[in-house]
Amino acid sequence: MPGLSWLVVFFALPLAIIFVVSLGSRDQYGGVLFEHLGFHNYARALEPELLPTVGNSFKYALATTFFSIVIAYPIAYWISRYGGRRKVLLIVLVMLPFWTSWVIRTYAWMIILRDNGVVNGLLGAVGLPGPIQLLNTDLAVILGMTYGFLPFAILPLYVSIDRLDPALVQAARDLYSGGAAAFFHVTLPLTMPGIIAAALLTFIPAIGDFVTPDLLGGAQTTTIAKVVQTLFLSARDWPFGAALGFLLIVVTIVGTVAGLRFLRQEVVG
Amino acid sequence: MSEIQRIHPPRRPISRRAMLRGMAGMGAAAAFGPTLAACSSGATPSPSAAASPSVAPSAAASQEPTPVPSPESELYVYNWTEYIGEDTISKFEDQYGIKVTYDFFDSAETMTAKISTGNSGYDVTFPTSTYIKGYVEQGFIQPLDLSLIPNKVNLAPEWQDPEYDPGNQHSMPYMWWTTGVAYDTAQIEEELTSWKALWDPRWSGKMAMLDDVRETFGAALIRLGYSVNTTSDTELDEALKLLQDQKPLLRTYTTDDIGVLSSGDVWVMHAWGADVYQVQEERDTVVYYIPEEGGVRGSDTMVLLANAKHPIAAHAFINFMLDAEVAAANTNYIGYMGPNEAAKQFIDPAILDDPTVNPDKALVAKLQEILDLGADEAKYTDRWTKLRSGA
Repeated sequence: MPGLSWLVVFFALPLAIIFVVSLGSRDQYGGVLFEHLGFHNYARALEPELLPTVGNSFKYALATTFFSIVIAYPIAYWISRYGGRRKVLLIVLVMLPFWTSWVIRTYAWMIILRDNGVVNGLLGAVGLPGPIQLLNTDLAVILGMTYGFLPFAILPLYVSIDRLDPALVQAARDLYSGGAAAFFHVTLPLTMPGIIAAALLTFIPAIGDFVTPDLLGGAQTTTIAKVVQTLFLSARDWPFGAALGFLLIVVTIVGTVAGLRFLRQEVVG
Repeated sequence: MSEIQRIHPPRRPISRRAMLRGMAGMGAAAAFGPTLAACSSGATPSPSAAASPSVAPSAAASQEPTPVPSPESELYVYNWTEYIGEDTISKFEDQYGIKVTYDFFDSAETMTAKISTGNSGYDVTFPTSTYIKGYVEQGFIQPLDLSLIPNKVNLAPEWQDPEYDPGNQHSMPYMWWTTGVAYDTAQIEEELTSWKALWDPRWSGKMAMLDDVRETFGAALIRLGYSVNTTSDTELDEALKLLQDQKPLLRTYTTDDIGVLSSGDVWVMHAWGADVYQVQEERDTVVYYIPEEGGVRGSDTMVLLANAKHPIAAHAFINFMLDAEVAAANTNYIGYMGPNEAAKQFIDPAILDDPTVNPDKALVAKLQEILDLGADEAKYTDRWTKLRSGA
């Protein structure tokens, strides 16, 4: 059972460790005390004070998922239908940004979005008053995340669209369906597994991303992942951080399972 | 991604840019530091004869008398990047005949993680003073044998018995810096002097605070007239309220004070004094002040690790670093003031006369050092989580 042992070693075991840590309490130098195990950290996690950050996290992750799919679908469609012999090359190009560190690419966005950055420079050059604040805003966070997770949306969509038999679309057109109707009644439903896979593959990393909100966001854009990171690195409160992290994982798993169940009912069943 | 999460003062006294300029101007030898600088000027016998500091009574009980043994032939030193004079190490090697292996780190977390294993192999490292108490309690470092560090007399009186390490039992101070406010005079014409500037709605969206719990609470506590090390819940709640009022006016919380100030994204910022030099490379209209209400002073120290294999050489090195001329050479190269009173006569007047690096005595008296509060740190971090996650 290599699959099962893989799951145990890389998923169940780390999750169990996080759970056990989340039941402890911190000692003063960042260690974890296991003397009074309990759910006190979960009680803290559910306090209403954290709600705005949870709201931010979902806002960014949902917006990122939406924009990623809206942008990725035409790209994947184009590569699949018109890529011809260059399909493989085009897919490699989609993956190309991964050859550069994520942090460095995010720093590049900082330079682009600054008050005296590239975008404001262009706006100024065409005579618009400025500068407009782009960096340290919600917009910058969503832009940065969408940019980063777009390849995760393109790949499953490409696979799904590529597998779609063009004869089915042709059949719809033969039966006097318009281009739009054929797309919405044939192509879109048949590529729904790809869309759901793309949604999961962008939503899950987006909800856990703390680098983008930290670098492109500002004082008002704290996400739950950033709070977890602060708790582990500077607040020396691993148990509370572990509790928040565990809740985040549970929510993500429940969401994923619900997504897959929906997929089975709507598309397969 | 910890490389982007600098939680403690970045030790980058000389920017890459300044380094490159320096290389072009002074030749490569200056820039490559100890390894290439084939400098072998006459070693100074220590302590400097010219020094005549008043010797403060040392609170430290002398350790059991050790017959001064000869140092080992090797030494492993672990320091912040670019945080020592360019030929300090080679001078030490020449004078003592000890082979030094010199490595560096760029964050306190990295260093702590390495030494906490107990077999890092290093003898001497340079923690920020706030860490001393924890290191002692966790057994990461061992007491110093003060009889092997006669140059301790060179320290200014206020550094002979610091609050973070009474009697210098476990550490010798190395360099210090301040936290205050930096602002761009091209955007703000009036002269700023107070912490209140960081709450001024006129600069809404153009202000930033440090992404550092103790520093940012420290700023609010000083503005309120309280100690930066308070453990009073009412005082801390007042500080939290003040910071919550400020949050909507802020553009960001960041430790990248150099980046946001030099880009012009931020006009007024809670900043580390030593960083402003690098900002001025890019934007020379940015100035730094220690607010009239007082500021925060931080310092780095030299300590002997618990499992050091070369303790005698380590003591010799720490003693060497406290030599007046060596300390002055370090300051002249990295631009930080040290605690060494005897060194002052050898320090570049440009540094001595710069009030942002070397503030006058009246202002120094108003600086507070952040201490490790042990279990009470949670009072700060819990409120910090509240501040950062609130709407």
